[in-house]
Amino acid sequence: MSEKYDVVVVGGGPAGLSVAYFLADKGYTVVVLERGLEPGSKNVFGGRVYSYPLDKYFPGWRRDAPIERWVRREMLSILCRENMASIGYQLSRKPDGHDSFTVFLSRLLKWMASKVEEKNVLLASNVRVDEMLFRDGVACGVRAGEDKIEAEYVVIAEGANTLLLEKHGLRGRPSPRDIAVGVKEVVRVGREKINERFGLGDEEGLAQFLISPVFGGGFIYTMKEYVSVGVVYRLSFNNHVEGKDVIEELRMHPEISKLLEGGVPVEYSAHIIREGGYKDLMSKPYGKGYVVVGDAAGLILNTGFTVRGVDLAIESGRLAAEAITKTSPGEELSIYMDLLRRSGIIDALKKFKNVPKILSNQRIYVEYPDLICKLLDNIYSVDEFPETLNESLKKAVKGKTSIIRLLLDLLMTVRSL
Amino acid sequence: MSVEERLALTKFEVHSEPHIILRTEKCKTCSFKICVSSCPAGLYTLNESGEIQFTYEGCLECGTCRIVCPENAIEWNYPPGGFGVQYKFG
Repeated sequence: MSEKYDVVVVGGGPAGLSVAYFLADKGYTVVVLERGLEPGSKNVFGGRVYSYPLDKYFPGWRRDAPIERWVRREMLSILCRENMASIGYQLSRKPDGHDSFTVFLSRLLKWMASKVEEKNVLLASNVRVDEMLFRDGVACGVRAGEDKIEAEYVVIAEGANTLLLEKHGLRGRPSPRDIAVGVKEVVRVGREKINERFGLGDEEGLAQFLISPVFGGGFIYTMKEYVSVGVVYRLSFNNHVEGKDVIEELRMHPEISKLLEGGVPVEYSAHIIREGGYKDLMSKPYGKGYVVVGDAAGLILNTGFTVRGVDLAIESGRLAAEAITKTSPGEELSIYMDLLRRSGIIDALKKFKNVPKILSNQRIYVEYPDLICKLLDNIYSVDEFPETLNESLKKAVKGKTSIIRLLLDLLMTVRSL
Repeated sequence: MSVEERLALTKFEVHSEPHIILRTEKCKTCSFKICVSSCPAGLYTLNESGEIQFTYEGCLECGTCRIVCPENAIEWNYPPGGFGVQYKFG
């Protein structure tokens, strides 16, 4: 591989593939370098993608893409010691254009890759990029082992682990405070059992957020035949369960084990998640001859209720492609930042800039869920001496937390979300 | 189910050379050893004399140890192209 391309893209994830997708339309020669056996081999996420960017840019995707189920049931649950407290939201009307679907990321990326290859983009798998190449301060290609791949523009779509950017001093290593680890297991449960146990129709999916005083956060997504269950733990917390045991801990919970009973696990996966929000966004995700897209740039939006990554990756890919078409080789690609600003992505990240602080407060996962569990337990354990809500609350709070701290946390939470 | 059984579900193309190198002399003075509790694959273990032991074969390439190590004792890279974990579902 010693040819020269207009654009070399490092990483065949959602951001990298979308840059290639949009640039190929404009007649650029593009090569995407992917270190896995094929696109998607190295990617991990929870299980849901928001539809809007696909609606805009991938005509026919609703028939074509490997969609598992359309999310029609949203749930937020606290896993108490043995019980579970939930708030659910059922969507019986199909939300037009603002919906989301469950999917396996590896399969979605294979599909995206096929769309990209239709446009004559060269997709080179099994290639690990070792460094960026610069000439007179301008990015001019990459090196992968012995091979040098030269290009007018370099797109860094390396994902959450920013090895290349760190190597070249373009980004610092993130602090453990801003990182969570997502661990996931995919379990084959069978379509009928899934429909029955989760109360879903054939095409209908569930997206469930879990809060656990024992291991932190978690999720459940239903696929057609499979259920994806995961745990998200913060590295800065005083964790009671070791990372290697969190999935087992989740699966042992009586309410979860009921849902997965008889299921056969088929894959175990893990990845870090950048949780820093706005402050983790690169202040300069571009330079002379290069742009940074997707997770690598810090484009992850956690609003406290929804977590968005793939849609922002696709949008940032599109904007990076546009920036390249508007910038001469060798110039700073500063237009990319302007485009990100104009798109509203930066404002959205800014708007939720305090959410990471809330989500890095261990009390949110431990003390308050515990308090809610105790409160509900008091309310619903009925005997001949009923308690008022006030009495139950006092009993639940007693010795656990100070009311003032609780109110302060509550106030901060409400203001940030 | 143990983490070893879970890792057996996932597909790996193991390379003959480790992609993560531990500078164990730094681990000797480290009192935290957070790598042991935070690695989701359980690849960092303590032997009888309290020293860190590490195997790379079941590495999920998540990046956790790289971020969490307070001693900067981990030389972390991805396996060469085509090697390492290969997710089917992801």
